[in-house]
This record gives sequence, structure tokens and C-alpha cells, in this order.
Amino acid sequence: MPLQLYYFLTNAAINVLMSWALYLPYRVAHLHFITVANMAISGYLAGYLVGTLHVPFGWALLAGVVVAALIGYVVSLFIGDAPTFAVVIVGFTFIYITRTVIENLKAVGGTLGMFGLPAIAATPAGHRWAVLGILFGLLALMGFLIHRFDHSRLGRAASAVFTDKDLASSLGVDARRLGMLVQTFSCTVAGVCGVMYAFIYRSLHVDFFTFHLVGIFMTVIFVGGYATQWGSLVMAPILYGVPLLFPAAVQAWRIVIYGAALILVLVLKPEGFFTRRFVVKLERTLSGSRRRRNTLTKEEL
Amino acid sequence: MKKAFWVVLAVALVALASCAPKVAVKEWEIPFLNALTGPIASIGEYLDWGAQQAAREINAAGGIKGKPVKIVGVDTALDPQLGSVKMAEIVKDSLVALGPVPENVIQAAMPIAVEAKMMSMTATTSYEYAAPYFPWTVSWFPPTEKRLGVLVAAWGKLHPEMKKVVQFVENYGPWPGMADAHVKGLSELGMTVEKVEVPTDAVTFGPLVVKALNLKPDGIVFVCNASKIGLMVKELKSRGWTEMGKLLVFSSGDAPELYSTGGKDIDGVVVYNYINPFVDNPRWNVFKEAFKKDHNGMDPFSLSPNYYDAVYMVKEAIEKTGVTGDPKKLAEERKKIADYCANVKGFKGLQFDWDMAAGIPTNKPTYLFEIKDGKKTLLQEVR
Repeated sequence: MPLQLYYFLTNAAINVLMSWALYLPYRVAHLHFITVANMAISGYLAGYLVGTLHVPFGWALLAGVVVAALIGYVVSLFIGDAPTFAVVIVGFTFIYITRTVIENLKAVGGTLGMFGLPAIAATPAGHRWAVLGILFGLLALMGFLIHRFDHSRLGRAASAVFTDKDLASSLGVDARRLGMLVQTFSCTVAGVCGVMYAFIYRSLHVDFFTFHLVGIFMTVIFVGGYATQWGSLVMAPILYGVPLLFPAAVQAWRIVIYGAALILVLVLKPEGFFTRRFVVKLERTLSGSRRRRNTLTKEEL
Repeated sequence: MKKAFWVVLAVALVALASCAPKVAVKEWEIPFLNALTGPIASIGEYLDWGAQQAAREINAAGGIKGKPVKIVGVDTALDPQLGSVKMAEIVKDSLVALGPVPENVIQAAMPIAVEAKMMSMTATTSYEYAAPYFPWTVSWFPPTEKRLGVLVAAWGKLHPEMKKVVQFVENYGPWPGMADAHVKGLSELGMTVEKVEVPTDAVTFGPLVVKALNLKPDGIVFVCNASKIGLMVKELKSRGWTEMGKLLVFSSGDAPELYSTGGKDIDGVVVYNYINPFVDNPRWNVFKEAFKKDHNGMDPFSLSPNYYDAVYMVKEAIEKTGVTGDPKKLAEERKKIADYCANVKGFKGLQFDWDMAAGIPTNKPTYLFEIKDGKKTLLQEVR
């Protein structure tokens, strides 16, 4: 496989997963940026386990995911039903704390970072196929789980909380437990990303996990569409990949293009390109449903 | 008999010429993975300018083996994701590359160059970031601990009465390692060193300076961002600090922002660096004037010569190892370039000649400067 394609596919998959990690809590109107910190924690933990303690990669992956989920759960005990603004502040603070801890931990290289993480297969090509296999397997698994969540009672409850938390609570939805569930789930996804990120590059630097990532994932969600998981799936590779095709002179304006796209979408199509209505219509078209394509049930909406 | 001699000589010369490897490229294209946009875009431009200046000079003098050289700036915008994809593109068919810049992109992209066995010259980072990728890069600087201890001790010896030194340290990439090397050098002189951490997002420096002054230091070393240093020196002066020679600025702090934010308040401060703007040789003078012309009269940025020299080192490697640019010999010629650069002897750099041994420079000088009227003046060369 060409190297370029490998890096494109792996980076795109990470961006999809991380956008989903932000999408999940946003189902209950939480912008949960702690995911970026969790990504760093899991990445460094797995790097340390495999690189220094020679723990097999599979166990390190599991440890990274479990630790991320635990952090997500513990934090959610305090902010499971907090207002959006409070969740944002906690997320940003957590990123700062995590970066500072990593910078001061000599065991993981401090500000220098970690170099030469071992390959997870005997040859470089084997390593790449293994990373791709694991990453896309996890992408499919997470995608399936999120799809099931979205189409379950919990998903509908999350939509109700997003629309009006007080009204949802009066209808019997436990907003706090729901918030805790999606926050923990999202941190688990971020843990997966952190471990895989470390083994894609086989090195780690604290500047791999900056606020820049928050900007990218926010753009993916809001341009793609925050009401379904499909927006992130389609938009993450496009927003990441298309600028690579631009001539160098245009690439320099990439951030401006991202920003302009975000503003335009927020003004002209506030729900993003992949709205729930659009997805249902598309599903009907593809499945050849006889039901009138423009008529959606209340449940589907 | 005489005629026969000339015929034989002519045939021999033709035969010799036909044996010499032919250049297989129309142009030597060298990609330069650089941060041309984003927060350090201005530094990226200074580095790019150095490489382009070398290419302009080389092309004006006939190119490399008669073919022009072209430096192709590849923007990574400090993004490791972008850096990895761009490096993956470059290693497909490039003979050699420059960069990446800066450290987080080095860590994401250099493993790709190493796997492809292609040299990429990381000429502005510290030894610690280059060494993991030997022999597919070279370090422009000796190991930090080895070099900086000696250099800072030279400053300490200028003020033997100093007993306690406070060091302002910002946690960024190689900077804490540089601070550790300073501690080692000063400790060997019997001085104690205390650390005051500078937060990366700090915008006011009064409390930090008060904290440092409460430790009653005899001298202060700055290991942080240039503009922060300028502002901290101002704070120190406003709180009664007068012994300016006992303030030492590390090499990465010797940037335009130090002079623009520090103004007249930094007069007397000592700075260490790896280049000496007062060198008087024709190449440096041309470089300096051209840089000033393109940058509104500003003196060359201290790292600008690095990629200038890197381009010349690649030129020398191509010329002296018989590299042809033939795609069929890509692997073999990549190795020739890497081997040559790792052990080059008597390389004629922009400022001084130096040798490399296994990818590490062995005899580069370092300098202490004093700032006077907003300009550096040479205080001492340290070898």
C-alpha cells in the first residue's frame, strides 16, 4: 500500500473517531473537550507500557481504553448534567492539566516526547496492515455502537435533552445518567484514538494534542452535521483530505477556508450538511422504500 | 609521433568523460518540510529564505553538476498529521529532503524518512531530536548537555562572585534539557541554581519576577520565549535590577522579538548563540545584506544560515559522491548522500568550516554577546 494512502486513511479514521467522540456528548448539548486530553493520556500510557515495560500491544490498547473510560466516568460524576459552558471549561482545563503533567513526567519523555515506539508486527508493512486492520475494525465497531445508540430509546432521550432538558426531565428522562453515559462512551472512543495515534507515528510529542485538534473536530461536526453520526464520517476525510489536493499557495489559506466554511454552514445550514431528515431520505432512496420520501414519522424526525 | 600522442590523449579524454556518471535529472528538486503558515510562520519564512538564498547562489554559479537546484517549500503548518502525509509523498521519489520543522512534526514525519532510507536534514532542532533518526539525518548541534554546560560556565566565569543563579524555564521541547545543561555547567563552578517555571500562556510577568527576586539571585538565566524575556527584563529593571551583565539569554531567545519587546532595557544583557553576525567574510556579508534587503533592514535570524548550509552540504555530497539523480539508483544514492553528510570534513559553512563525525558536529564554535544600543557585540568565542 502506498505510504501516502496509509497515512491518509489512518489520520482520516482517527479524525472520524475523535469527531464521534465529540458528537456523542453533543447529543445532550455537551461540548466535551476532555476527549483531547484523554487521547493524550491513553496514547502516552500505551506508549510507556509497550515502549518501556514491553507489555504486548493488545494489553496496552486495553489499558489505554479502560483508563480513558474511567477518567470519563469519574469526571462525568461531577458534570454529567452540567450546563454546556461548564462542560467546555472542564474540558479546556483538563487539556491544560494533562499537558502540564506530561511535560513534567520524565518517564514519558517530558517536553521531549517519546521516540521509537516498537512496531506491532515484524515488518514495517506488517505494522501498517495491523494498524489499519485494528483501527478500521474499531471504527466499524464504534460506528455500529453509535448507530445502535442513536436508534435506541436512549438516543431519542438524548434528542429530547438536547431540545429541552427540563421538558425531557419532566417526561422521565434521567438527564444526569444519560450525560454520564455519553461522556464515558466518548472518552472510551478517545482512548482508542490515543493509543492508535501513538502507534501510527510510533512517537509522541505533547504538541500532538493541542487545541488545534478541538478546532478541526468542531469544524467536522458542525459542517458535517451534528444531528447524525454520518456527517462526521463523511466530512472528516473530506476536510482533512481535500486541502492535500490544493496547490501549495492555496493550502496556506486552509485555515481561512475551514473558518469560512464553518461560518457559511452555521449561517446557511445550521444543522450541517447531514441532517437527520437528509439521512432518512437517503436511506429510503437507497432501500427503495414505497413510503413517500418527503414524509417522515415523528420518531424519524 | 607527436601527432599520435595527441590522438591517443584525445581518445583517452573522451573515454574518461564517457565513464563519468551522467546527471539524470533536469533539475535537482529538494523538498523542504517547513512551517510556512501557523504560529511560527515567520520563523519558517526565515528558514526558507536561507535555503532559497543558497539555491539562488548555486544556480547563478552554474547549479549542481550543471543542473539547477530548486527548493520546494512544503507547508506542514505545525500539524503532525499534515507532516506525515507530506513526508510519505516526498519519500516516494525524492533523493534528499530538508526539515521537518518543528519538533512535533519531526516526530511524526521522520520515522517515515527513516523507513524509506531517505535523508532529511533537521538543521534547526537540538541533537536530542535528531539523534533518534541517525543515520537518516544529521544534527546541526552537538549534544546539548555537553555543549551548553561549557558555554554557560564561560559566562559564569565572567562573574565569579555569583553564588546563586535563578533560571526562568518554559516547558517547551528541548528547552528544559537546555536548562539542565546550564545547571550542570554552573554547578561545576560552585554556583547553586534555582528554577522558576514560566507558564507557556503567561502574559504578565511581575509575579514571576518578584518570585525570582525573592530568591535573592546574583544572576539570572532565561530559557523561554524571546518576547517573554524582553518583558521580564523590563520588569527586573523596574524593580531595581542593575547588573545587566549577570542576565543571560539562551540561543532560542535571541530572536527579533527580544529586541522589539526589550528595547533599550535589554542593553548590557548577555546572549549566547551559535552564529556570529560579526564574522567578516564575503559570503556572510552577501547573505547578511540580501537578508536585510528582503526583511526591512533586519539582521539575519540566528537560524537562517542553517538551511543555507544544509543546501550547500547536499550540493557537496552530490558532487563528491557521483550522485546522478537516476531514479533506478535512488536507494544507493540516498545512502551516498547520508553517509557523506554524516562524516563530512572541513565543510565550508557560511560562517565557519566544520567537521561531522557520525552525524554530530565536532568543532563548531559558540559565542557570548553583549547587547549594546539594541545590537549584539561580541564578548567571547567559546570552543
